[in-house]
Amino acid sequence: MSPASHIALRFTVSRKRSLALSLVGVIFGVAFFILTQAQTQGFERYFIQTIIGTSGAVIISDRFQSRYTSFSDAGARAAEDVMRSRGQGRRKYYEGITNAAEIMRVARQFSNVSACAPVVQGTVGIRSNFTSEVLSVQGVDLDAQLAATALRSQIIAGRIEDYRASRAGVMLGSLLADKLQVGVGDTVQMTGPDPKPRTFTVTAIFRTGNNIIDERRGYIEQRAAQGLLKKPGLVSVIIVKLRDPDRAPEIAAHFERLFGHRARSWQERERGNLQIFSTLRLSAGITVSLIILLAGFLIFNTLTMAVMEKIREIAILRSMGYRRLDISVIFLGQGILVATIGSVLGAAAGALLTYLVSLIPIKVTGFFYTDRFLVAWSWQHYLTAAAIAFIAVLGASFLPARRAANLAPVATLRGSGQ
Amino acid sequence: MRARVPMDDTASSLACHGLEKYLGEDESRVHVLRGVSLAVNPGEVHAVVGPSGCGKSSLLYILGLLDRPDAGTLWIGREEIATLSDDLLSARRNEELGFIFQFHFLLQDFTAIENVVIPMRRLGGSTDDEMRERAAGLLDAVGLGDKADRSSRALSGGEQQRVAIARALANDPAVILADEPTGNLDTANSARVFALLKDLVHRERKALLLVTHNPAIAQACDWIHTMRDGLIVDSAWHG
Repeated sequence: MSPASHIALRFTVSRKRSLALSLVGVIFGVAFFILTQAQTQGFERYFIQTIIGTSGAVIISDRFQSRYTSFSDAGARAAEDVMRSRGQGRRKYYEGITNAAEIMRVARQFSNVSACAPVVQGTVGIRSNFTSEVLSVQGVDLDAQLAATALRSQIIAGRIEDYRASRAGVMLGSLLADKLQVGVGDTVQMTGPDPKPRTFTVTAIFRTGNNIIDERRGYIEQRAAQGLLKKPGLVSVIIVKLRDPDRAPEIAAHFERLFGHRARSWQERERGNLQIFSTLRLSAGITVSLIILLAGFLIFNTLTMAVMEKIREIAILRSMGYRRLDISVIFLGQGILVATIGSVLGAAAGALLTYLVSLIPIKVTGFFYTDRFLVAWSWQHYLTAAAIAFIAVLGASFLPARRAANLAPVATLRGSGQ
Repeated sequence: MRARVPMDDTASSLACHGLEKYLGEDESRVHVLRGVSLAVNPGEVHAVVGPSGCGKSSLLYILGLLDRPDAGTLWIGREEIATLSDDLLSARRNEELGFIFQFHFLLQDFTAIENVVIPMRRLGGSTDDEMRERAAGLLDAVGLGDKADRSSRALSGGEQQRVAIARALANDPAVILADEPTGNLDTANSARVFALLKDLVHRERKALLLVTHNPAIAQACDWIHTMRDGLIVDSAWHG
């Protein structure tokens, strides 16, 4: 330990009462910062898991073809500029995927792609003995769908195996099943462009937690969907599961260029919701950081008082050969000690609070479904909280330390000695 | 009597030549030192006397490298130190000089022995045990061996001044500078502290320069330098 650090430690211990309040502020600030970040990111991550588990990291959809305009068409060129600024040229879209099997074969060659699932999508009417509703029908290849999504874990009634065994089975969203007042084993009738209804048996009910999906969606076998929608051979979208979902935007952009089909990453599809989470996290972070800043203000006051009280001791230390830098370190060292102890204890308290909060039962539906508080465990929360604590405390300690270092010892000795 | 300056091969512990110093600004500017020359050799005790405001303390702070002269030259041993950086001046203070002040200025949060160890920590090169052992020896030498672990707040004025003496000797300095070292003590403690200092200087061949208003203390020194209006007007040998 350097001589200045040793003195800093002793000064800190001797002023433990006045520094304790600052220390408590840092501990609370760090702990609450970690807790709020863990909560907001916990919900955000679960939301992301839900949307990726339900709709994949990347969705490949309609084929497109670039459109060209004449030089004289200034308005069209301006519109094209706008589209280009968004990363797209002017395009004409054609419904569905052309040669889905080949696209999936090539897509699977990418090391980041772990699974692909073709889906036929359309809207049909669904009727039970109780009422009629609109159904967003998803015609799926069951094995591919199970590999590319979290459908298996979303089943809350019935069995996947029963659906597989049934020639005309349907898996309904939980809210839609409630509306139709149907359960596993009941039959429903679906009506597409062909007015003749087709009968399906409810073999399973799923819950994604996302109300928009759960009150509209149903899964049936792919060929049955093509027949119901009168679109034989159609594949509307391909759901792509990635090993590293964070890289979805690059993969989607690459797929667009490679396949000539629209490809959207989950980040693009859910931009609005993700922004809400980011804003909430930032807002909570700023609010809680104010506690740490308040602790910094207390430290500023404490150290400023300490410099005034120890003005003679500073002069005597200088007379004994302590440099200006040593004097700075003595006062900055007290701040560093408070920030270090505060960060360590605050991190421990933050981890404990996060764990306790994760045990709180709470039912959330709408965006996703959960019956407990969701928290995220990330070392970055701890590192960020400690960094804020250090910046605030060292910033607050800097001015008193500089003042102490710049004190002229002669002025003090002259004033006290005669 | 003329002041001695290090003009020959035998270097003094501390010497200055033609020191000048101004204090204040503009109209309140005062010429406190007007060309002071002085040399302090090992084993000598020098007293600087004179009326208040004659420049004694200013001279002491310049000789102690706590202040810079506006003109003149200053040596510690053979090294001219006037042009050294602030950090190097701090290093020389730590290695070569020991200070004793009228108001002893101990670090109040520290024990007696910790106060003595403080300059040693800055010097470095010793383990904690070695520093504590040396500090304990110094406290023993000033008669405070049994109070080494006592908080400095719990010591009497005389005891605190003796701790300050032990601290001034901690790094085995060549020169000890003292500003009214007995000015805050009663007669008995004053005589005891001065006898202790004088004995150390003669026994260990240190150089001691002290500023005092006490004629009895001054008379007991080897040299008496009388200052008036920023000048040494008389230097008398009493050795």
